[in-house]
Parts: sequence; C-alpha cells; structure tokens
Amino acid sequence: MTGVRVYITGMGLVTSAGCGVSRARDVIRNRGKRIRPLSLFPVSPDNRLPVGEVDGFIETGGIPRTHQLALTAAREAMARCKEVPDAVVMGVTTGGMLTTEQCLKTGDGDPDAFKYHSPSSVTEYVALELGCHGPVITLSTACSSSAAAITIALEMLRAGRAGTVLAGGADSLCRLTYHGFRALQLIDPQGARPFDKNREGMSVAEGAAVLVLTASESVPDNAIAEILGAGLTCDAYHPSAPHPDGAGALQAMQAALQDAHISLQEIDYISLHGTGTVDNDRSEAKALNALFPDKKPLMSSVKGAFGHSLGAAGAMEAIVSALAVSEGLVPANVGCDLPDPELKLEPLMTPLETANIQTVLSNSFGFGGNNASVVIGSPRRGHPPRSIPVKEASHLVVLGSACLTGAGDADMSLRTVSGGKSCRGRVPDPVLSQGVSPREVRRLRRLPRLVLALASAVQAHSQLPDAPGSIFFGTGWGALSETYDFLTNLFESGEHFPSPIDFVGSVHNAPAGQAAIRFGSMGPNITATGGDASFEQALMLAGLMAKDRDGTLLVIGGDESHGSLSRLFDRSVGSDAAPSDGGGCLCLRRSKSAPGLKTAVMFYETSANNPSVVSSLTAGLGDGERVREKYGAVFAGIPAACRKRGEEQLREFLSISRFDGPVIDYRRFTGEFASASAVAAVLAIRCMDGRELPGGFYGGKKVHLKDKGILLVGLGDIVTAIEVIR
Amino acid sequence: MEEAVNLLISELKIKIIDTLHFEDVRPDDIVEDHQLVGGELGIDSIDVLELVMMIDKDYGIKIDNKELGEKVFANLTSLARFIYENSRSVGN
Repeated sequence: MTGVRVYITGMGLVTSAGCGVSRARDVIRNRGKRIRPLSLFPVSPDNRLPVGEVDGFIETGGIPRTHQLALTAAREAMARCKEVPDAVVMGVTTGGMLTTEQCLKTGDGDPDAFKYHSPSSVTEYVALELGCHGPVITLSTACSSSAAAITIALEMLRAGRAGTVLAGGADSLCRLTYHGFRALQLIDPQGARPFDKNREGMSVAEGAAVLVLTASESVPDNAIAEILGAGLTCDAYHPSAPHPDGAGALQAMQAALQDAHISLQEIDYISLHGTGTVDNDRSEAKALNALFPDKKPLMSSVKGAFGHSLGAAGAMEAIVSALAVSEGLVPANVGCDLPDPELKLEPLMTPLETANIQTVLSNSFGFGGNNASVVIGSPRRGHPPRSIPVKEASHLVVLGSACLTGAGDADMSLRTVSGGKSCRGRVPDPVLSQGVSPREVRRLRRLPRLVLALASAVQAHSQLPDAPGSIFFGTGWGALSETYDFLTNLFESGEHFPSPIDFVGSVHNAPAGQAAIRFGSMGPNITATGGDASFEQALMLAGLMAKDRDGTLLVIGGDESHGSLSRLFDRSVGSDAAPSDGGGCLCLRRSKSAPGLKTAVMFYETSANNPSVVSSLTAGLGDGERVREKYGAVFAGIPAACRKRGEEQLREFLSISRFDGPVIDYRRFTGEFASASAVAAVLAIRCMDGRELPGGFYGGKKVHLKDKGILLVGLGDIVTAIEVIR
Repeated sequence: MEEAVNLLISELKIKIIDTLHFEDVRPDDIVEDHQLVGGELGIDSIDVLELVMMIDKDYGIKIDNKELGEKVFANLTSLARFIYENSRSVGN
C-alpha cells in the first residue's frame, strides 16, 4: 500500500484571452467574452464565423502554431519547477495541420515541410525543448484529448512510473476543424451560447494548457490543487453525435467519482463540457440530471468565453477547476442569457470570486463518444490519507492476436515469412472488407476498415464470447484518405464545400470509435499517436489503465498507405519503392492466474539529445545477463529513415547486453509503415505459440525458443522495448 | 412541373448513391415516398449534412436550419420539390 497522491504544482495557459493564466483569470473575473470573427486564415465573407483566436504567434523557423502555443504554456507551467519532468503527456488533435494545409495548397512536395505534421510532434517538441526524454505520449481522442492526457498522467504517477509529469493539450485553429465544424452546422454565428434556449452551436477556438503534476505522500508547498480521480468511457453509439441520454457521459462522471473515492454531495462545482451545440448540451444535461436528481452543485461552461479549443479544452478546464479550488474563482456561463428550460439546469450567470470550493468535477466529451471526467480538489481539503493498492506489473495476458499485411491475415503472413518471403505491400482490399456488409462500411475508408478487420479477426482468434471492454489504438498518421479527401475537396471548391463525412472520419480516434460501436465497448477508448512507436504507446497505456474487473481489452496498431500523403509525412515510406501498410491487434486481459503468454512495454525514451538511451534501455530490462537469460530472440524495428542510427543503436545494445541469439530485422519483411511493430508483435506471439522461429525468420535456420521470450526493440528517433514472455 | 420534379427525383437518386457511397443500392431501391432519414437505407444526421453540402454545391441552395431540413428531407419527393421551387438551374 502506498499513500501517493497527485498534485497540480504548476500551470500554463494560452487562450483567446492571451498568454498566461492571469489573462484568462481576468476575463473570467470580468465575465469577458473572447470570441470574434476568424482572421487567422482567409475565408469568404459569408463563411466568416466567430472563433476563439489567439493574437500573435506568427510562424517562424518552420515551427507550426500549435507547437508554439504548447511550448508557451509549458514554459509558464514549468516556471517555478526546476526539475525536468519524467514524462510529457499531451492531448492534440490536429498538430501541425495549419502548416500542412498551407503546404498542400501550394503543392509543396518536400517531406521536410511536413516534419511537424503529426499531433505527436507537438509533444515531442515540448519534451525536447524541456529536456525530457520520456515517455512522451500523445493522445488524440478529439475534444476529450487533454482530459484523457491528465487521466493517463495520473495513472503513471500513481503507479510510480514517474514522479513529475507534464500533462496538457494544444491545438491551433486550422481549416480542417473550422470548415469541418462549419460543414456539420455546429458553429453558432453569434458565438457559443452554452445551455441557452437559442443556442446554435460552438465557437471553434485554439490554445494550449499545461499542468505540472507531481506525485507526493504529503502536500507539496507549491500545490495548487489535487487531482483526486478520473474516469474515461466511450458511448459506443455514433461517430460524431453524443448518446442522446448522455449514457457514456454519466458513466464517465460516476467512474471519476468512484476513482476519487468521493460522494456526490462533496462536489461543489462542475466545470461543464458545455460546447453550445444543441445535442451536446442536451445529453450533458440529461446525464447531470440523472446523476444529481435533487440539489445540483454550482455549474458553468467557459466555452462561451474562450470558445472550444479542442485538444486543449480538457486541460484548460482543469486549470479553471484548479482556480476554483485555490482562489474561489468560479466562472459564469458566458453566452447563456436565457437558460434552456428543457435542460433543467441552472448555469451560473455571474462569476463568484470568493466561493468556498473544495471539490470540482470537470467534464470533457468528444467525437467518437470519448468521454472523460476529472475530479480536482483543494490540496488542503482535509481528506484522510489515500491508500492506493500498488498495481501489479503492467504485464497483460495474451488471449488472442491478429495481423494484416501485404500477404493477408496472420496465418498467411506467418507462413509467408516462415517460407523466407516478404509480406510487404498493401493489405489486399478484399481482406479489408472481409465479413462486413458494404452498407456497414460505406462511409469508412482504408484505416477504419483495417481496424475493424483486425478487431474482428482477433475476436475470432481468441474465441471469447464477450466483447472487449476497452480499446487502445495506436496510429502513426491516422486516417489519411479521409484527411486528404476533405482537404482536396475543400481547396477545389474554393473552401466552400467541405465534406462532413470526411471530417468526422478524419479524426485520429475515428477508427477506434468504430470498433467500439461494433462491439459495444463502453470502457476507455484511447487513441495514441507517436510515429513509429504508436503501437508501443497504445500497449503502454493499456498496461496502465487495465483493471482486473475490466474484462478483455484490445490493443491495436494500424496505419494505411496513402498515395499522396504517406510519402510526405512518413520519411521511412519515401525510400520504399513498393508501399506497405497493415497492422496488428492483441486481445489482452489483466490477470494473475490466466495461462498464456504475457506482454508489456518495458522501455520508452526519445533518442534526441539522449546519448545514453541504449544503456538506459539495457538497464530498463534489468541487465545484460537478464536479457540473455530471458529472451530467445530479438525482433528489431529499424525505420528506413533512421536506418543508420538504428543499426548503430542495435550494435550498441547487442554489445552492452552481450546478447548473441538471433536478431530479426523485421522491417525487411513487413515493409515500411509506422505500426509495423504491431505486425512484428503478432508474429512474435505466433512464433512463441510454436516455441520456435521458423527457418524463414533467421536465414533459413530454425531456432528453438524453448521457454524463452522474444524482445521487440524499436530503434531510431524513439527507442522502445516490448517483451513477450511465458 | 411534375415532369421536372420527376426528372429531379431520378437525378437525385444517382447523386444520393454517389454522395453517400452506397455500393449496394440501385436507384430503384430508393422509393420516393419512403422515409429518407432513419429509413431502410440507414441515412443519418451526418449523411443529411453531406447531402446539404451537395445540394448547395450542385443547385446553389442552402439548407441551414434544422426545422427546414426536417421538412425538406422527409422523403425524396419533398426534397425534389424543394429544390425545384428554390432553384433556377434545375438539371444542371
């Protein structure tokens, strides 16, 4: 038992009010509204809608706007913190999209121009600037992204994986989200009016919000607030619309209260998701009325004041919640003049400056039905010391596995590689559409189809009657077909006619949301992105979040090959003549007693400015002797773009560990795509099932594994290790 | 007028199949007077917005409020009539 609790010890914020927590505080005090017509990029006069835009931040030195916003907030949060954080966890939905759009518009074909495209590049940029080697984790669960980031950070700190974590989110305005929400008719032409009778939608905004979270057994001197608990759920209902009764939202709030060990009556204030859309506000209101049938706490949404900053919103509202408990400042529900009687809520109409707020519930709900609630309390609320059971090792039992490659399914892929051949190439189209009706997948392009095919295959392989409770998805680049088609149609129509279907499909978490709908998986539904280590991130998050009671969970890694974008975004793809794609999926369960192979992420660090990364890797695995004893083979993932450095890292690892067993350079037969490691993990599991590496894996020589495991190392920009053991 | 509306109906059937990626639906499968949204085709709110964008693009007509949308998208006949009554470029 341990008494570790998690405190907010630093905060940084960039909003449409400007840079700094103090600017936002002033706007809240004065009941200000920082929403005005878009000026960041040109739009036709009839399409010019009010947004929450940040002044300044001209792109310089090729650093995109989101990255600048994120670093500004991170520096403010770190201002009084001397130590480098142990990990950075950020929620980001569109990353360098504003810059990418400009480059695609002008036909820039230089992959260098897109090096900050990915949402994960925001987190990696912040981590590099602060000198943090990681873990560096990026969550992309739409509008709940940074609330999910806080939840993950909380679990990392509780589990003792880190002492200090920088957690937050960032997103700049871009054409994709602006025109996407416009196409969905979800932008209020008068600016967001959350919970108002006449509300017509949200105001898209930008910003960044970052918290320093510190694990401690006693209240630190610089504690601003305490993160008491969090809950993540999925509606498993619709790709973009919330559940009409707010079922998933209610469960997220209940899960957060349970995790925080507090009762309903203890909640003094609720920071509402309250976007201002007709349906969102209605389903949140239904969930709140179900949770609080009698007296309700104070409540308000700040989205009428600052707009909805998407990936940043959850962390921004965690800061608003922290101000409520630390300063007694409770925001008014700006924008709402006539509360909608149908909603049966009484949002706060004027700000309170000296309220006695001990505990706050902060809600964030997003596309894909991804719901997150976080409970934030005063560090001095006099709660008895908290006992949290120490989590067992993060190993999860493997109940099933499936992969898709250019050769086909897992059996075909294993047979092909065993025969000494390569399973490179794109997953054949008929394989992607196997077992689904054309009607069911009519709106889905390549990546969501891949994910559904993987999830169905793993369910068949594991032969389990129950649907998975939660889903963890890692993707390097997300839904490229939907993103490309959305932007191409937008540009070709003079930015007049964006496609709502493509917008909804373009968000990184759309494929995992589809899988949740397919199986009715209402537990945590998390999409992580981190280039070549995206699958590793998903597996690490599953290890952190999985609880005994949750039943089975799926960990999926997948990426699609796209004719135009893959080459621009993924520098490893550019050098590969024949494009490849695919992915892998594991069905897992946390269990001490279930028989079967076990897997866990053992190491995750970035290699930039980190000369000792390989010795840290060996140390992270125990030492050389343990490596030699434990593993019968090493599967090495060396992305083509970092081949030279990756090979050097591999040589160094083999030299330090003195591992002399077979080393399989798996990208030689999987081809180049970000989640190739998911395929490698599945092949490793299948080899271990047979207790041998078939000849084709290792120069024609069959290798007996006996009782030993397989170590999968990822090399290059990010150095990772996954083990599969008995 | 009826002839023009009928022509529009035939044209809209093809556009709906194309816009909403119905690989397994033929024009004859869309019945003019059947409920269009939430009916047997499984057309939902996102599909309606996709059709709204198509109608703006192809016929120059905006449908930007829910009440109007619900009336117009009741069935294919009501949609064709609305386009006929509001468009000066039918058939383009």
